[in-house]
Amino acid sequence: MKKILSIIGLSVSLISCEQVIDLEVKEGVNQLVVDAWLTDEVKEQSVKLTVSQPYFEESAPKPALGAEVIVYNQDSTAHVFTDSNNDGVYTYKPKAGKFLKENEQVALAVKYENEQYYSLSQLKRVPKIDSVGYEVFSFPITPPDGGPKDGFLAQFYANDLVGEGDTYLVRSYKNDTLRFKPTDITLAYDAGFSPGSKSDGLMFILPIRQSLNQTLFLDKDKLKVELFSIPTEAYYFLLQLRQESSNGGIFATPLSNIPTNIFNLNSKSTKKALGAFFVSKVSTFETIIDKNKAKPKQ
Amino acid sequence: MSNIYKKYFSIKVAFIPLIYLIVISNFAIGQNNYTISGKISDAKNGEGMIGVNVYLKELKIGASTNVYGFYSITAPKGKYTLTASYIGYNSVSKEYDLKQNQTLNLELVEEGKLLEEVVITGKREDDNVKNMEMSVNKVEMKTIKKMPAFLGEVDVIRSIQFLPGVSSVGEGSSGFNVRGGGIDQNLVLLDEAPVYNSSHLFGFFSVFNPDVVKDVKLIKGGIPATYGGRVSSILDVRMKEGNSKKPEFSGGLGTIFSRFAYERPFLKEKGSFIVALRRSYIDILAKPFLNTDLKGSRFYFYDFTAKTNYKINDKNTVFLSGYFGRDVFGADFGFNWGNSTTSFRWNHVFNNKLFLNTTIFYSNYDYSIDSDLSNENDQDSFEWKSNILNYSIKPDFNYYLNSKNTISFGGQAIYYTFNPGQAIAVSGGQSRSIGLDSKYAMESALYIGNEQKLSGKLTLNYGLRYSFYNYMGPGTVYTFNENTTPGERKQITSTRTSKKGESIKNYGNLEPRIALNLGINNSTSIKLGYNRLAQYIHLLSNTVASSPLDVWTPSSNNIKPQLSDQVALGLFKNFSENLYETSVEVYYKTLKNQIDYIRNADLLLNPAVEGDLMYGIGRAYGAEFFVKKNKGKFNGWISYTLARTERKVEGLNNNDWYASRIDKAHNISVVGILDLSKKWSMGTTLSFSSGTPASFPTNKFVWQGIALPHNYTDDRNTYRIPNSHRLDYSATRKNKHALFGKGESEWVFSVYNVYNRKNPFSVYVRQNPDDPSKTEAVKYSVFAAIIPAVTYNFKF
Repeated sequence: MKKILSIIGLSVSLISCEQVIDLEVKEGVNQLVVDAWLTDEVKEQSVKLTVSQPYFEESAPKPALGAEVIVYNQDSTAHVFTDSNNDGVYTYKPKAGKFLKENEQVALAVKYENEQYYSLSQLKRVPKIDSVGYEVFSFPITPPDGGPKDGFLAQFYANDLVGEGDTYLVRSYKNDTLRFKPTDITLAYDAGFSPGSKSDGLMFILPIRQSLNQTLFLDKDKLKVELFSIPTEAYYFLLQLRQESSNGGIFATPLSNIPTNIFNLNSKSTKKALGAFFVSKVSTFETIIDKNKAKPKQ
Repeated sequence: MSNIYKKYFSIKVAFIPLIYLIVISNFAIGQNNYTISGKISDAKNGEGMIGVNVYLKELKIGASTNVYGFYSITAPKGKYTLTASYIGYNSVSKEYDLKQNQTLNLELVEEGKLLEEVVITGKREDDNVKNMEMSVNKVEMKTIKKMPAFLGEVDVIRSIQFLPGVSSVGEGSSGFNVRGGGIDQNLVLLDEAPVYNSSHLFGFFSVFNPDVVKDVKLIKGGIPATYGGRVSSILDVRMKEGNSKKPEFSGGLGTIFSRFAYERPFLKEKGSFIVALRRSYIDILAKPFLNTDLKGSRFYFYDFTAKTNYKINDKNTVFLSGYFGRDVFGADFGFNWGNSTTSFRWNHVFNNKLFLNTTIFYSNYDYSIDSDLSNENDQDSFEWKSNILNYSIKPDFNYYLNSKNTISFGGQAIYYTFNPGQAIAVSGGQSRSIGLDSKYAMESALYIGNEQKLSGKLTLNYGLRYSFYNYMGPGTVYTFNENTTPGERKQITSTRTSKKGESIKNYGNLEPRIALNLGINNSTSIKLGYNRLAQYIHLLSNTVASSPLDVWTPSSNNIKPQLSDQVALGLFKNFSENLYETSVEVYYKTLKNQIDYIRNADLLLNPAVEGDLMYGIGRAYGAEFFVKKNKGKFNGWISYTLARTERKVEGLNNNDWYASRIDKAHNISVVGILDLSKKWSMGTTLSFSSGTPASFPTNKFVWQGIALPHNYTDDRNTYRIPNSHRLDYSATRKNKHALFGKGESEWVFSVYNVYNRKNPFSVYVRQNPDDPSKTEAVKYSVFAAIIPAVTYNFKF
């Protein structure tokens, strides 16, 4: 829906303008930020800890150092993450079949400056991506974002798993470059956009399948799609993350805080954390665009 | 059952004293009275005239014509001079001997051409002081047509925003806010049928075609018992009836759209009609410049307005009016929305004292979205429709009991169908229908009111309205966990299916209305008003400006009706023989059951949408200052509003009062019209308003490389965006002859936003587009340019 509104907004923009201005805002309190999005893949997993900062401060966020970071399986098996570079990025190298299991509850425990924080997340199922197709496509004008005017419009094919309430995130790489600006974040609830869409078990709807085309692809481009299963609370976290990141124009909604699933073990403590902890299973599909395999223009 | 009986009984009890009051207070009035009544119309086109002052010189008593031009005066037997007067028209006096009930229809002739130019409002000159009404603004179409208009297009709703107590959330937003009320709290009536979305092009233009509008009245307070259903204001727009004297073409060619209207009498002037059409043509003009891929893009709106009336005989006249408008938007996908209304009215004069109007109307607002208009791709598509529809019957009686009392009574029943969304989604060839149940409701009301002259100085208008609302099946009834932490999504605890016609939940409200006018002297009066209003339908909108996708929802077992109580006090004084009119009004309004939204509220296609709502209370108070010069080559007005609008919602801002998103402390408007010569006139408007509240973050945090805002205290609306101000000009050049050497025509030149101010619509924060880990604040302006326009209007 946001999309329709933004298209409407676009038409208004012919005589409108946006100016970057100086704004003075009140000072808040800096908090621990947990950036933990783990997968069950056999590759290095990381949890990034930083400290929040005044909104308009230009410097990079300060790392939260000296923390203890442990991930627990449902059976309490502990996996200790360590900050070997002393930069706030706590890493762990899982061994095949020894890390996260489908459907289990996974816990994250962080001890930082004498406060203990925890979070829970579930490793949900993910369908496989069947294929990727592309068709010849031309924009009427050269897109303002610098992408090509003529190229290939790609889509991936996959079906939502039967059973209501699966939530997913789609992201893509073009020539090994990840595209993950807030506006690129594509979320699915079953095969549609939102819980009301009753799209359980369908093929992902067209706008989701085509969400890879930030810019058109060219012949010989490498395209990689990732489909992540995410828990429901991650769907809402990311939904709001996207909302708060592109919230201008005449149909903006009031700014509100993005909910976190990181809690202080001592619920009475005034120290609260920000951010989120999620675990995902991932399906990927990779292909090289071949102009001879493209569907002709419709 | 006994409960309903009790309710009925208590309502009856509430009405009885009112009826007694009316009866007893008139007991002493003698029997040898006769009534003179009739219709006052405009000699030029036969249109019934609203609010004409009819006056018996000898007794110093008078009356005003109602919205159909009907008046009635009762007086003892005797010889009188009856005068009918209306500003901008030559008064007509007639001497007659009142010895039996009689009918006297009169026609008024407009004053000389030049004088006509200076007319500001169509009402008697000291109306503002003498009239019962307070918190009411009337603007005549003649004035609206002379005010500088955005892109040269005369617009009712943009014009009323220059009145005291009226504002909007920003340039280009749809609707208007009255005394701290939301846009859905205004009852916008077009020939008595409600219009659910009063905007074209998201808010740039309103749906009222100025060529068809006869009278515009905005009631902000002291709302009479005849009106109900919204808690903030009534915008009563009356359409022209059509020229009953001669055929007439009129129209205009503008920068954005063109208008065309035709009106004429039929059946020997017993009837007349008017039809009018408008269409925007950006798309047509742009077409040659678009290449094949965009050839299909559409972006236009049109509306069709028509009205006809037929005078069956002296006692019966019928009217039929209709509006149909549509905005169409899209390229490969389609999005269109619009209102349609039809109202049928029957005026019946029982006798000299009793007048009845019965209105039957239909009103519909709908939108639909289709992802694939050309149906090229039958494997993947999305179609979505939503609407609100209602039918209503509304009898209104005016009973001119005697020279001291005018009683109005009547009722209304509205049957609503809400269709929050029906969608069909096709993905990979498989189709699903995504439907939300339609919802049904019946809103009905009974009212009685009396305008009573207690003495030469004191006039009272008191009334009572009882509204009754029934939320009905069929449908799914949801109950939610009410123990949820305020601000969090409420989960469904139970659902059940209700049968067709089953009453799921009903509400009743007694709505007392009272107004008082105390004349201090001939040119000064004090007015006091109180009203309670109930509103049973709500527009769910969580965006800064309302969008065409917003859905109306009924009061239900979960959503309670909104209630408002307002007290207003005003001092009205005219100077220099009514050349200047001034007023100061203060008001205080409280609101109950105001809807707010949890964070991340999902308002569209969500069956559990009621779980995403929060409820709070509101209050609005302020002072409105108004100075107007009515006549002369230079005329116009200045208005200043000092106001505050606040809300209190459990779960927001520490459960404290906070500024609502439409709060604007200062609002100044200056409207000036200068008639230079017979040929040239000029208009200028200047407006200033304080910035609306906004919420900004205190901190940022970075998650997956994206900088995100966070407000440590999580308070809403603690900042203000910068003030807005704007100057507009217009110049009108009248030509003697229009097309083909007949009729008249004019050129209207206008400049909107003369000094190129980039007024903030909103200020928001975002990541730097090139580096999402960096953050910045952005001021967004809808109009960031000087906008000139030329319009050619004609009439022949």
